[in-house]
Amino acid sequence: MQPHFQYSLDSKASYDNFQDQQQQTAPQGPNSQFPAAHQVTQSYQSPLPNAPSLDTRRVNMMQIPTNPRIASNLALGLSKTDKDGFTTDAAAKPAYISVSMPKPNNKVLSNDTTISMLKPGKFPNSLCRYVERAFNLCKDETQRVACQAIMKEIITKATANGTLNTLDWDVEPLFSIPNSEAVNVESSQYSSPVSSLPKYKRSPSRRSKSRWEPLPEEKSVDKSVSISNDIVQYGGWARKASANSESKENAVNNVKFSLLEQKLPSKNNQRPAKRQHLADGLNAANNDASSDSDKEQSLTAYYSSAKSIANTPEEKKRRESRSKRFEKGQGYRTEVNYFKPKNAGAGNLYSRRARALMLSKSLDDSGSKAVEDFDWDALTVKGTCQEIEKRYLRLTSAPDPSTVRPEEVLEKALLMVHNSQKNYLYRCDQLKSIRQDLTVQRIQNQLTVKVYETHARLALEAGDLPEYNQCQSQLKTLYAEGIEGCHMEFAAYNLLCVILHSNNNRDLVSSMSRLNEGTKKDKAVKHALAVRAAVTSGNYVMFFRLYKEAPNLNTCLMDLYVEKMRYRAVTCMSRSYRPTIPVSYIAQVLGFSSTSDGNDEKDSDGSGLEECVEWMKAHGACLTTDNSGEMQLDTKASSSSLYMPEPEDAVAHGDANLAVNDFLTRTPL
Amino acid sequence: MLTTPSKKQPMLFFPEFRNWESAWALEALYVVAYEIRILAERADRELAFNGKSPEKLKGAGSFLMKVFGVLAGKGPKRVGALYVTCQLFKIYFKLGTVNLCRSVIRSIETARIFDFEEFPKRDKVTYMYYTGRLEVFNENFPAADHKLSYALMHCHPHNEANIRMILKYLIPVKLSIGVLPKDWLLEKYGLVEYNNVIQALKRGDLRLLREALEEHEDRFLRSGVFLVLEKLELQVYQRLLKKIYIIQKQRDPSKAHQMKLEVIVKALKWLEIDMDLDEVECIVAILIYKNLVKGYFAHKSKVVVLSKQDPFPKLNSKPVNS
Repeated sequence: MQPHFQYSLDSKASYDNFQDQQQQTAPQGPNSQFPAAHQVTQSYQSPLPNAPSLDTRRVNMMQIPTNPRIASNLALGLSKTDKDGFTTDAAAKPAYISVSMPKPNNKVLSNDTTISMLKPGKFPNSLCRYVERAFNLCKDETQRVACQAIMKEIITKATANGTLNTLDWDVEPLFSIPNSEAVNVESSQYSSPVSSLPKYKRSPSRRSKSRWEPLPEEKSVDKSVSISNDIVQYGGWARKASANSESKENAVNNVKFSLLEQKLPSKNNQRPAKRQHLADGLNAANNDASSDSDKEQSLTAYYSSAKSIANTPEEKKRRESRSKRFEKGQGYRTEVNYFKPKNAGAGNLYSRRARALMLSKSLDDSGSKAVEDFDWDALTVKGTCQEIEKRYLRLTSAPDPSTVRPEEVLEKALLMVHNSQKNYLYRCDQLKSIRQDLTVQRIQNQLTVKVYETHARLALEAGDLPEYNQCQSQLKTLYAEGIEGCHMEFAAYNLLCVILHSNNNRDLVSSMSRLNEGTKKDKAVKHALAVRAAVTSGNYVMFFRLYKEAPNLNTCLMDLYVEKMRYRAVTCMSRSYRPTIPVSYIAQVLGFSSTSDGNDEKDSDGSGLEECVEWMKAHGACLTTDNSGEMQLDTKASSSSLYMPEPEDAVAHGDANLAVNDFLTRTPL
Repeated sequence: MLTTPSKKQPMLFFPEFRNWESAWALEALYVVAYEIRILAERADRELAFNGKSPEKLKGAGSFLMKVFGVLAGKGPKRVGALYVTCQLFKIYFKLGTVNLCRSVIRSIETARIFDFEEFPKRDKVTYMYYTGRLEVFNENFPAADHKLSYALMHCHPHNEANIRMILKYLIPVKLSIGVLPKDWLLEKYGLVEYNNVIQALKRGDLRLLREALEEHEDRFLRSGVFLVLEKLELQVYQRLLKKIYIIQKQRDPSKAHQMKLEVIVKALKWLEIDMDLDEVECIVAILIYKNLVKGYFAHKSKVVVLSKQDPFPKLNSKPVNS
């Protein structure tokens, strides 16, 4: 690492020189890269370590989120550097400049192996080059052996596929070389997620691909196909993010430009070298109990060098071809978006996905593919976990099958939640994780509907409207696909929601117009429509009657409007009644009395009466007692004194149910 | 394919148009704007039919917004702005994204460069029609009345289809402010759906109103006037009470100003509307509250005590208080 920092002492001048050089070389076309590169090389000694001297303003402008994964990944590159002695390559040939630089000898070996492995003439030249590139990545003998095995697999597969000659091996990204440890691991079913990045610190060759490639704990077969994955990823990711991949692609494309094949090894050399540069700076930051600014600066350096590559004509050409790759398969894009390929957690997943990609790629290279053309079934996760209870954890990457529960288990889980006596948060949490498992396995059937319905009902009871809305929208789509469920019940809820929550007439009218004849006959929907009529006309008597006899959970939704309705009612009464109204009457009419129908004893009304009185007082009503001791509402006085008080239990996050304490005491549920 | 030509022509024409100083090409622009909307509509229909998402109309909308932007500058081109606005309205209404109209309306109404009067008449009528409709949606009846009436007044008398459209919205508005149309009007323009509504209002026949609303529910929901018509219920109640009052006055003038609740309940029963005391009491309270009935309600005796003077005030072109 020392050399880096020595370089960093260089003045900015060298960096500027470098940039100038770049601009000069840019218009001259690819061939001229060769001579120009020489000059560039020198000044390129330390663009990266130089970067720290650049103003932090650049950092701010870039707003790079520090992704620890990136940092640590790139750190891998650094450790390799350490081992190999950066200095030897340090006359650094940035990989993106096609350069015929003298390369260290160890590459020659791989050439031989390569050539011996392939029967010349049987395989296309590009394949030979591909193999060579792969071998060049291997650090030691074990890797090379593994590499060979992998190569054989790839080639066999390609032959079987018939893609041997059609695939453009020049642009095929390389698979990741397993490190010494990984090579020894059985490449059979891979179940446990790979989390230990430190393991890879020793084998930075992996970093030859984009940061987002799957980690190499996969079957060898997987690797070949995961490569095609990378093509997708390259296409899909942001420009600067693929700077790393660019370097490799640069090298790859350079192969085309190169006139002499023996240049190849040297170019391959560039690639690692470049990476090491970048990784260097970053790791320097990492290893030195990095301060933020260091990290930022190194990232800046990383990106700045990426930016400087940005405008060479070569680069432009590459961009073109990349974007063409985009057009070729629309499905690629969807692939990228569908999965978040960070963790190597699901080897199966990757293999299947990538296999599908390979298949589709070989099937039809022209024209866009609709999402439906993909064999999604081969790509979905099939869960294996047997736990009935499972906490909800938001996914940040493709899920691991061993943590995903299959359908039977989910059914049991749902049952468990149904019967559970625990509080809302717990059940909500469990349901969310059930939902997640269902989504991940793309299960859309009655079970899914049941789960969402259960969750929606729970949310309604708890008054958790946002959660309810989520479930409701999911249910809408599920119902639209024809899956059976309690359509009517939820149609009623939907209607009530619109009535009670939006002041928008147009929404209301359109919801109403969307109900068909059959739906309108349903009891729950009729009830909802009646509530609508009552609310629109302000008919409080009707409203509270409907409230008492509400089917399903309509009461819960009406609950949200009760306060407003009561206030409207009392205001209205204050204006129209003279001289007084007995409070008992108000209590009865406004739904304050206890729910026992036909029970006219004073006791049953007692609690309701008190509640009513309290409510009235809270709203500024003027109450008097008449001669017979009955409480009366003095309407004239009240008409000017009524007001709507601030809700007492207003919580900052708007939902009193989700108290902070509940969150903190989650564990012992 | 239907979709391609719609993009090309305006793309070629429009930038050129922008550069021309005078407004000689406005007519051509009108054609382009019109065609782009029609084509987009058809394209969307085709897309929807083939199961793809219909995005063309939205695209047409944004294109026309740009056109509007160009026209909304100083210079002779600005008279074309209203035409483009109307095309935009049509698109937005069709898409249901009516809220997008707001920005255009604001530009037209508040920008100093626009003098409403200098726009061509046909555009003004269309503009007023659409903005009037928006007011109806927002239940802003005086404004709706003003705009739709303007449109009606200035609309060419031979253009029956247009007049019909205007009336379709104007009638509920007028009803809400207490103005009833003549029968021949409804007949002439074939707006038979309102017949029963108006009858109900005249007679205080709540049952008829509810039936009429149910019969044409779909139509009213689609045009968005359903809620407006529903609100007419209160006026129907008022009329009913007035009739009772008149009868009572004939029988016993001195006691006429006191109306027993039971009587109202009975009257409603004759209309086959089953409401109990509490509910009717509530309705009466609401009527008083909204100034449709002047007086007060004495709860103990369950009697509506009406004001001696004008107990059932007319609306007088003012909507019912909400």
